[in-house]
Amino acid sequence: MGKFVFEHLFQLVLVIFCVATLTFLLIRFSPGDPATIMLKANGVPASDEAISALRGELGLTNSIGSQYLEWLQQIFTGQWGESFVSGKPVISELFMRLPATLELAFAGLGVMFAVTLVLGISTAVYEQGAVDKIGRVLALLGSAIPTFWLGFLCIYIFSVHLGWLPSMGRSNWKNLILPATTLGLGLGTVYARVLRAHMLDMLQQPFVKASRARGISTNRILVFQVLKHALLPIVTMAGTSFAFMLGGSIMVETIFSWPGLGQYVIESIKMRDYPVIQGYVVFAAILFVGIHLLIDLIYLILDPRLRAR
Amino acid sequence: MKNRSKSWTAWFVMALCIMMLVGCSSNENQAAKNSQEEAEKSATLAFTWSPSGLDPHSGDSWEVMRSGTAETLIKLSEELAPVPWLAKSWEQVDATTWVFHLQENVTFHNGKVMDAAAVKNSLQRAIENNPGTNDLLKIQSMEALSETELKIVTTEINAALVSNLADPGTIVVDVDSLEKEDSYPAFTGAYMVEQFNQDESLIVKRYEDYWGEKAKLDQVTIKFITDGNTRLMALQSGDVDGATDISVDNIEVLEKNDQFKVLTAKSLRTHLVMYNMESPIFKKLAVRKAVDSLIPRQEIVESVMKGQGTAGVGPFSPVLPFGKLTETKEDVSVDKLMQEDGWTKNADGMWEKDGNVFEATLLSFPQRPELTVMAEVIQSELLQQGMKVNIREVENIDAVLAEEEWDLAMYSMLTAHTGSPYFFLEIFFKSDSSSNMNHFSSQTVDALINELHQTTDTEKSTALAIRIQEEVGKEIPHSYIVYPNTVFAVRDELKGFEAFPIEYYYNHAHVDKD
Repeated sequence: MGKFVFEHLFQLVLVIFCVATLTFLLIRFSPGDPATIMLKANGVPASDEAISALRGELGLTNSIGSQYLEWLQQIFTGQWGESFVSGKPVISELFMRLPATLELAFAGLGVMFAVTLVLGISTAVYEQGAVDKIGRVLALLGSAIPTFWLGFLCIYIFSVHLGWLPSMGRSNWKNLILPATTLGLGLGTVYARVLRAHMLDMLQQPFVKASRARGISTNRILVFQVLKHALLPIVTMAGTSFAFMLGGSIMVETIFSWPGLGQYVIESIKMRDYPVIQGYVVFAAILFVGIHLLIDLIYLILDPRLRAR
Repeated sequence: MKNRSKSWTAWFVMALCIMMLVGCSSNENQAAKNSQEEAEKSATLAFTWSPSGLDPHSGDSWEVMRSGTAETLIKLSEELAPVPWLAKSWEQVDATTWVFHLQENVTFHNGKVMDAAAVKNSLQRAIENNPGTNDLLKIQSMEALSETELKIVTTEINAALVSNLADPGTIVVDVDSLEKEDSYPAFTGAYMVEQFNQDESLIVKRYEDYWGEKAKLDQVTIKFITDGNTRLMALQSGDVDGATDISVDNIEVLEKNDQFKVLTAKSLRTHLVMYNMESPIFKKLAVRKAVDSLIPRQEIVESVMKGQGTAGVGPFSPVLPFGKLTETKEDVSVDKLMQEDGWTKNADGMWEKDGNVFEATLLSFPQRPELTVMAEVIQSELLQQGMKVNIREVENIDAVLAEEEWDLAMYSMLTAHTGSPYFFLEIFFKSDSSSNMNHFSSQTVDALINELHQTTDTEKSTALAIRIQEEVGKEIPHSYIVYPNTVFAVRDELKGFEAFPIEYYYNHAHVDKD
């Protein structure tokens, strides 16, 4: 176990180095000067003198090599630089917005699991029935409907038309319902099909037949035997989805004005706030690698064969 | 028994999760709700841009100003003339020296008195922290002559100093209050900051010791909603009482419903097409003139802007005194102009010169989607006349204009954001300005711009600005397409929240709710 963790941690450092280097280079070679964008942010003209002065203040007049070395040093000393726009440390800016994103990702994951379990189990139990057909259509819609469209549809129905839920913001728990649904619903309907397929496969296994022969109720077999085994691939997919939700809920956060990392990084990209963009990418890389490390560890715990290896 | 205990544990964990989730509504939001409940009269507004903080001397100065919490020495009237605000009067002592007489009995939101020394410290910080503000003011030194008199000496003659002191970058703040992390900046406005929720909202409450007419509302919550559709639906659902920057496509929907009012005003923005005067196609005036005559301005106003704009004549909006140019209707023959520059029509009906078919690139950018639609209208019109135009959408228009080869470019700018024509004319038309991206060059115009910079008399500077535009217009470096309107929308019960040409004063003391 110790060797396993050490190897993965080494990989994490290597990934951070590569991601940091690649991000730095990609941003520097993409068009757009942060000083010009910042000074013209409100659509007003800016003089050359003002732009040059701001470039100097932001350290953009230093050579690319020295900027890169400074960036690497900042990454591995945990400083991560300061935002060009706010002047505040990037690390604190990211951590300040992380709770909102985590809250949304967990809620989205909850919706996803609820939809997966309800739809997956019912479509497996009533195979080829009406529920199964509905599940198939829902899965098709879930994978075909773009997130932004679903988001606006939810706002229109539940906020504008029915007036049940707030349309945006993060004032109380009600604000979480629509963005979490938008985030988790589509994935849930797709994963339900995966769960259904695995459950149907498990239902054919000899141990299920043996349990039935021993007189164990169908519900107990479904929940404690079939579902337990069928959930294993869902756990893997959920891990990847969670990482996606953390890093990829940008659209949902923007639509619902959810004050998380996604909305922040979009604004930072618009403003070419280099330290924030670089910091966010490294932050996302750490999260992805960390979550995969966690999933591998869960696998080790769940599957004794892996421990034996 | 063991299974039952497991089940109870599972239920307990689930209940705990739900409680945590509910708890996530955070104390600050609870505080906001409580304070909202306590308030007698409150309103919620939706603004487009979310500030990264409340530092008035950073890139967030416009958002701070729009919140109604902060003030500058000078205010711009609805006619965009500089009028007294924190400075009740001013005088020019000599070419570079000005004395500003400050209002008495003004206090910052922390109770401190606003005197000349405090204003000096605030302006000093503004020019040190923001190169843009430094550039506008060109201050060499400042001196507090008395508690209410501030002397400002500029590095050169700066005729636009008074107007430029209306720029939000010059907001007056108690500088000491910015150093404290446990409190909000102390400004002088009719509202004071009660709570700032990053990326989410700004709650302001009435400042009871305000020196002027007190705010009619006890509290205003400003929500930052960057997406235009969400902003519209927040208004429709009743989550907000008023919203800024409503898309012209949504006006019809709102106007059909009696609950809403759409408010429009001519803005100071100008949408234009730039010609690269060093591009082989547009080097000659005749071709620029031909293209300029083909731009269907009125059609763009009617179809793309849904009537929410005015066809362009010059760089400045007609609401400005120096924007009132007389449109010279000249009968232009496109064929004659093109032939003048050696172009002939080929068998396909396309213009051709030296074996090369007319084919130009028109740059556009996604940040203002309406520009790309306008570009398509222009592209279609020019194609009918035998000119092929390829639209290229670029992420960063300024970078491409400065670093790459181009022929035509869509552009948009607030050309006189402080009510002065000088800044735009200097930056875009002076021969030695590197922001003069279409390479316009004229010694006459250079001399006139220098003269404008030193002219403090309003009438003379207006006449001079008009003359510069006429001189520039002879060469057609730009084609001005449209001055778009600013569009706000409110629920019927919200009063006083109105669209103005100037984009600084969104929330103010007169905003009220029935």
